[in-house]
Amino acid sequence: MKAKAMRFLKLLGNRLLGILRAIAGFIMKLWRHPKGRVGLIVVTLLVVCAIFAPLIAPYDPYDVTQRAAKGLSPSWSHLLGTTITTGQDIFSMLIYGTRVSLIVGLVTGISIAFLGAIMGVIAGYVGGAADTAIMRTVDVMLVIPTLPLTIVLTNLFGKSYLMIIFIFVLFGWTGLARVIRSLVLVLKNANYVRAAELAGASRGHIMFRHILPGVSHLLIMNTALTCAGVMIAEAGLSFLGLGDPTAISWGKMLAEAQGGGALLFGHWWWIIAPGIGIFLAVFSFMRIGLVMEEILNPRMKQSSSIYKIFKNLNNTYMEEVFASMDENAKLGLTLKAGEES
Amino acid sequence: MSDLMLKLRNLKVVFPAGEGVIRAVEGIDLDIAKGECVALVGESGCGKSVTSLAIMKLLNSPPALVRVDELKLDDEELKDYSDGKMQELRGQQLSMIFQDAMTALNPVMTIGRQIDEIYIRHNNLSRKEARKLTVKALDLVGVPEAKSRANSFPHQLSGGMRQRVLIAMAFACMPKLIIADEPTTALDVTIQAQVLNVLSDMQKKHNVSLLLITHDLSVVANMADTIYVMYAGKIVEKAIKRDLFLKPRHPYTEGLLGSVPRLSDEHHHFIQIPDAVPHPMFKPTGCYFHPRCSYCTDKCKESMPPLAKDVGGREYRCWHPLNLGGGAKDGK
Amino acid sequence: MKKSYLIKRIIYAFFIFLIVMTLNFFIPRIGVVDPAERYYPPQGNMTEIEYEIIKQFTREQYGFDVSNFQQYLNYVSGLFQGDLGTSFRSGNPKVSQLIGERLPWTLVLSVTNLLISLFIGLIIGTIAAWKRGRWQDTTLLNLSTISMALPAFFIALILSFYFGFELEWFPAYTNPNMVAQFDWSWEAIRVVMYNAALPIVSMSIGGIIGYGQGTRNAVIAVTNEDFILTARAKGLSRNQVIFKHTLRNAMLPIVTSLGMSISGLIGGAVIIEQIFNWNGMGTLFLEANNTNDYPLMMGIMLFMSAFAIVANLVTELFYSLLDPRVTVGERR
Ligand SMILES: Nc1ncnc2c1ncn2[C@@H]1O[C@H](COP(=O)(O)OP(=O)(O)OP(=O)(O)O)[C@@H](O)[C@H]1O
Ligand SMILES: [Mg+2]
Repeated sequence: MKAKAMRFLKLLGNRLLGILRAIAGFIMKLWRHPKGRVGLIVVTLLVVCAIFAPLIAPYDPYDVTQRAAKGLSPSWSHLLGTTITTGQDIFSMLIYGTRVSLIVGLVTGISIAFLGAIMGVIAGYVGGAADTAIMRTVDVMLVIPTLPLTIVLTNLFGKSYLMIIFIFVLFGWTGLARVIRSLVLVLKNANYVRAAELAGASRGHIMFRHILPGVSHLLIMNTALTCAGVMIAEAGLSFLGLGDPTAISWGKMLAEAQGGGALLFGHWWWIIAPGIGIFLAVFSFMRIGLVMEEILNPRMKQSSSIYKIFKNLNNTYMEEVFASMDENAKLGLTLKAGEES
Repeated sequence: MSDLMLKLRNLKVVFPAGEGVIRAVEGIDLDIAKGECVALVGESGCGKSVTSLAIMKLLNSPPALVRVDELKLDDEELKDYSDGKMQELRGQQLSMIFQDAMTALNPVMTIGRQIDEIYIRHNNLSRKEARKLTVKALDLVGVPEAKSRANSFPHQLSGGMRQRVLIAMAFACMPKLIIADEPTTALDVTIQAQVLNVLSDMQKKHNVSLLLITHDLSVVANMADTIYVMYAGKIVEKAIKRDLFLKPRHPYTEGLLGSVPRLSDEHHHFIQIPDAVPHPMFKPTGCYFHPRCSYCTDKCKESMPPLAKDVGGREYRCWHPLNLGGGAKDGK
Repeated sequence: MKKSYLIKRIIYAFFIFLIVMTLNFFIPRIGVVDPAERYYPPQGNMTEIEYEIIKQFTREQYGFDVSNFQQYLNYVSGLFQGDLGTSFRSGNPKVSQLIGERLPWTLVLSVTNLLISLFIGLIIGTIAAWKRGRWQDTTLLNLSTISMALPAFFIALILSFYFGFELEWFPAYTNPNMVAQFDWSWEAIRVVMYNAALPIVSMSIGGIIGYGQGTRNAVIAVTNEDFILTARAKGLSRNQVIFKHTLRNAMLPIVTSLGMSISGLIGGAVIIEQIFNWNGMGTLFLEANNTNDYPLMMGIMLFMSAFAIVANLVTELFYSLLDPRVTVGERR
């Protein structure tokens, strides 16, 4: 019994180690890419803000009792001023707002990756009735307007971020499932999957050991992009007041700014601050997603780099290259200029 | 007036890339006589397609940089022609057959329209007159019920039929030179033979010069008059068909022949060339083939052999050519 | 287009509608036994008996006094007679009547936005593809990463702040009399344009860039296709290649995203409408939410779904006209 438990733990440990190693490798790849590095740094910054918000924020952002400090302009004591209606410190609110955005974004993104992958693999690999059922569901989901449904459901079950995450996941997996499905349809006929089938591996084993790894790169990329999209959508819902009424989120800050007279009194910082929060969060995740796409799929690479090379071509160098190809040049020692650059 | 249809001298093509320079074609010469079928043979990635596109002047710049000393089509120097002038020639005097007819045909246009375009463009015909010629052209390449088939879309035809459509397109204006870039690689073996027959018949009947590009020597065996063997952007051997098959001079050619099943083969086994083509950005020093060559010596590692000229127009680029009469390496 | 394909798609769209319709019936009934409790939740100052009376009244008014199945049948037969339900509002107007009043105003915003986005987006996308890799292209790329990370409602707030409050060029809040005083006179149309300016601009910034980038990618993807090379090898001029071969094929993905835009025409402006106090479907829905007006909410939702289904169907049929391959296999 004990030995079995030990073996199981060991296996689990190995698996976890493998996953960690994969993540580390993935981060290293991002780091080496200049654009990916920007995304990575910003995301790290946001995560730090979210975790250590109480330490970073100079004031209690929930404190609405500061009558004397209402509607202050930015200064050294209040970096981004205070709200007009309640005198909350906007900078502290901005720091705390990271939490909602990241949590909703990440939880949704990861759940969608799981659900979408499972549905896509089932639809593609099992096929038949399962495929039909899943694809019909996708078609139905696509025509139901998401925002109105979210409003109705929060009306029915109360406003909370859990509800929002639930709805995002419920509606978000369809796109991914479709992509994965078509990919699986291709992979299904790949030699190694065929071989596993012939060797008598079970369907579940094949799906999770052979097919899922084949689509994993796509999953990571998709998760980053989904996170970005979800954070924008969350801001919108919070703006409409559909999030948790007690939480501080960037979308809600914007709504409060609009309702609290930021526009009227010219307190532009009250609007810009949460906007920058949203922008940074979405932008960094999107960057990571796009860089992933570029790394995985070099054909997608923007041609701008090649054009730059072309424009800055060192003409004498190119002459050398061309000359090195001439019949006579090749007779002696081969010019190896090409490799040294 | 020479009897050369195509005279290509010292063609070089490079692609500047992020980390260096891809040397796709490194100064090759190519001659095609009138009515002759010349084959250009080599492994994947050795620069065959780039060569053919360079002859058509279809390489985009960027990314490609092209240099050529002479590019003469029937004594007409195309080297400095503008794209506008080339447009007049393409399809009219110089045309091309691509490898995969599925992707080489526009999927949202009927095949008839796609052939009509050529006649409308070059012969100034009305759409109706052009269609008449199109049907005739399809008939010639053996597309049954050409008149109604002309109205179908590429995906509605079989692979062999699609390839015939491409052939019909290439022959539409009876050009002086046709370049066929692996015209049958995408097809089943049986269909391959049929399509090659059509191509061969058309070429002979209309006395058109043909540059046949392929990596498959067995395709060449039936059609080509002269064969050029290309390796890593260089011509390594040129010979008329019989010489090349019977007495290959370059070890690479020998290797290629070894991978072709021959009935006369006494040993009944395939010789394979080990490893793969070098990456076009990192070619080895000396003879490009030396890392894979079983006759490799120190000399091969150090310097590139010159293109040696032999009797009967034979050319080869090797320090230790095979099958030289009474040569030491014979029969190895 | 094959007739059988058409019929199959219509039947399928209808099937999807039936599912959505059924879901729509059940959503307000989730979690309660008696829908009357949902429609009229208990208020604090009510006695048990008073509430019972109110519930009874509600049941009679909304037909909850029959079995669930009968309710469903009534709901369905009502729907097929064009009855989307009755609102809670004073005077108990029909949901369809309310939609009829508000829909045109939403369409003013969303259709204008779509047309602007599509038109300008197509132009700048084509330019960026043409000038691939040059500053036009890089600028578009950078703008698109920025604009994708900025929610439209944030842009709306900024515009409203700057052009509405600071400069006072355009109204930050819609003129409340605009709808009532609209009489198709030029003056009235001018007032609408003046009031709609900020909402439309804030929506179309993202739209233009999105369509621009989409067009650019589609055009470039097609440019890399083999059949473009074939077209050039036929000697077609640059313009012929672009207009006859490239754009036609690049249209396909654009039509798909256009379809998605169209299905979101009604429900896509909720937040923008709210910011500018624009009296459209979005604000109607938010009002319904604030008063727990379930019949109105569900009626609007069903209407939006039906609109999306029809939009998808039309897109799909249109797509199949453009792409002959579709009727054979699945597009997706
Ligand atoms: N547009 C391009 N940009 C960069 N490199 C290119 C480009 N086109 C071709 N090359 C390079 O040129 C080399 C020769 O390619 P080419 O297509 O001519 O090979 P090939 O002999 O036709 O092979 P295959 O049998 O696979 O068709 C390749 O190694 C490729 O890397
Ligand atoms: Mg090729």
